[in-house]
Amino acid sequence: MNGLALGWIYVLMALGLTLIFGIMHIMQFAHGEIYMLGAYVVYYLTASLGLPLLTATALSMLVMAGVGLVLERFLFRRLKVDWSSAVVAATGLTLILQSGSVVMFGLYQRNIPLLAQGPFHILGSVVPKDRIVAVAGAVVLSLVLYLFLNLTRYGEAMVASAQNPEGAILQGIGPHRMSALSMGIGCALAAAGGTLAGSLFTLSPYMGLVPLVKGMTIIVLGGMGSLPGAFIAGMVLGLIDGLVPILFGAAWASMGPLILVIVVLVIKPQGFFGHAE
Amino acid sequence: MQNRSSLGISLGWALAVILAIVSPLALSNIYWTSALTRILISVLMAASLRTVYLVGEFSLGHVGFMCLGAYTSALMTLKANLPFALTLPAGGFLAGLTALLLGYPFMRVKGIYFVILTVVTSESLRLLAFNWSDLTGGTDGLIGFPGAGSLSIPILGQVDFGGSNEYYYLTLTVVCASLYILYCLEKSRLGFTWLAIRETDRMAGAVGINVLKYKVINFSAACFFAGIGGALLAHSEQALSALEGASFGIMTTIYLLVYTVVGGKMRFEGPIVGAVVLSLISEFTRPVEEYQPMIIGAIAIVIVMLSPDGLVTIPKRVGLRRLRSFAPKSKAAAKPKA
Repeated sequence: MNGLALGWIYVLMALGLTLIFGIMHIMQFAHGEIYMLGAYVVYYLTASLGLPLLTATALSMLVMAGVGLVLERFLFRRLKVDWSSAVVAATGLTLILQSGSVVMFGLYQRNIPLLAQGPFHILGSVVPKDRIVAVAGAVVLSLVLYLFLNLTRYGEAMVASAQNPEGAILQGIGPHRMSALSMGIGCALAAAGGTLAGSLFTLSPYMGLVPLVKGMTIIVLGGMGSLPGAFIAGMVLGLIDGLVPILFGAAWASMGPLILVIVVLVIKPQGFFGHAE
Repeated sequence: MQNRSSLGISLGWALAVILAIVSPLALSNIYWTSALTRILISVLMAASLRTVYLVGEFSLGHVGFMCLGAYTSALMTLKANLPFALTLPAGGFLAGLTALLLGYPFMRVKGIYFVILTVVTSESLRLLAFNWSDLTGGTDGLIGFPGAGSLSIPILGQVDFGGSNEYYYLTLTVVCASLYILYCLEKSRLGFTWLAIRETDRMAGAVGINVLKYKVINFSAACFFAGIGGALLAHSEQALSALEGASFGIMTTIYLLVYTVVGGKMRFEGPIVGAVVLSLISEFTRPVEEYQPMIIGAIAIVIVMLSPDGLVTIPKRVGLRRLRSFAPKSKAAAKPKA
C-alpha cells in the first residue's frame, strides 16, 4: 500500500513535469523543491494558523502556483530558446531553494497532521486509512487535470500548444500564457504531492530529490508529454518499489528503475506512449 | 594575432601549473592541501563532463561513474590488497566499461531525455552502493582501506604517497595527464568527429560517420575520467559514503554542471576556470556555510542569463564590444538587450 501511495505521489510529480516540458520544452529540475516548499507551506498554515488540512493544502497549491508564475515570467521565459541554459538555471534554482529552506526551516524533521486516522478493512486485509485518502486525493487531482485538458477551452489550448506551437499561435493561443498556465498547474500539483508525502512521512528540506528522480523516470518510461503514459509508468514504478525489495532484496530494487528504463529504451525509445521528436 | 593569443594561452597554462605546484608549499597548511586536492579532482570531473558536451549532450550522471570508480578502487585495495597504481586505472576502466554498455541504449535518445537517463543512472549507482551492504558497507560507508601508499616511479624510485602533500602532487600529476589526454582527444580526428555530430548529427550520419558509435565512445571516455576522479577522491579521503548528502549525491552532479557552465562549456579551459573559481568561492564562504549553495546557485543563474557561454568568454566579449563601437551600427548590433 505504501508503494501504491508513493506511486501516485510520483505520478503527480511526473504530470507537472511532463506538462511543463510539453509546453515549454524545459525540464524543471527545481520541481522537487517546489514539492518540498508546498509541504512546508501546509506545515506552517496548519501548525501556526491552525487551518484545517484541506484548506491549507488548497492555499498551498495556490501559493505554489503563484511561485510557478513568477518563475516562469522572470526566469524560464527568457531561457526557453536554449534548453541547456534552462537546465543550468533550474539546477541553480534547486541549490538556492534547498539551501534557503535549510536556513529557514532547519534540518530537523517535522510532520503535517495525518490525512486520516485508523485502519481500514478491505477484503480481510488491514490498510491504514491515510494511505487510501492519499491515493484518492492523487487520483482525483489527476482526473481533474485530465478533464481540464480535454474538456475546457484553456485545456484544449494547452494541448494544442504542446502539439504544435506555431499552429497554436496562428489560432490565437499565446505561447507565454500557455507556459505560465503549465508552470502554475505543474507547481500546484507538486505542492499537492508534497503535502501528501509530508503527511504520510516526514518533512525535510531534502525530501524533493527522490520524487524528482522518480518523476523524471516516469516521464521517460511513459513518453515525454504523454499523460496516460505517466499514469501507467507511475503504477509500474510504484509496484517495483513495493515488490522488488521483498522479492529480491534492496540492492536489486535500487537498480530496478534503471534496468526497466534500459529495457524500454531498447524496445521502444520513445517510451510507452511517446511519439518521436 | 593568432600567434599572440596562442602564446598567451600557453603562458596561462604554464602559470596555472606553476601556481598549482607552488600553492601547497606556500600555504603549508594541511587543510588547504586537502582542499586543493579536492579542487583538482573537481577540475578533472568538470573537464571530463564537458567532454560529453562535445557531442552536444549534457550528462547529469557524472557523479555516478565517479562513485563507481571510487568504490572499485577502494574495494580492490581493501579486499585484494592491490597497489594503487593498478586500482586507479581499474576504477576508470570499470566506469568507462559501464558507460560503454549503458551508452548504446542511452545514446539513442537526445537532449533532455539523455539528461534524465544520466540522472537516473547516477542515483541508481549510488543506491546500489548504499544498499549492497555486504560489499560496500551500506549505511556505515566504507572505511579502513589504505591510501595511495608507496609506488615505484621510474626516475624517482620508491616514493611514499601517504602524506597529504605527496598525495596532492600525485593528484596533480594524474589530473594534468588526464587533462592533456582530453585535450589531445578533442584536437584529434576523433574530436572533430564529435564536433561534427554536435553541429548536425544527421549530416554527420549522411557523410558516413557512425553517430551512435562515436557518441558511445565519447560517453565512455568521459566516464573513464570520472572513474579516475572517483578513485583519486576515494584514496584522498580514505572513507566513502553513499549517503544522499555525501560526495556522490545528486548535489555534487549539480555543482559539476554549474562549474562547467559558469566557466564556459564551449572552451576547453572553461570548466577548469569554473571549477577553480567556484571551489575557491566555496572555500572562502565557509564561515557562512549554509548560504554556500545559494551563492553558487545565484552565480549559475546570473551567468546563464547574462553570459551563457561562461566566464572565459567575458574578456573576449568585452573586447568585441570595444571593436563594435567603431563599426557602423547595424540593426542587430544596435538592438537593445535581446
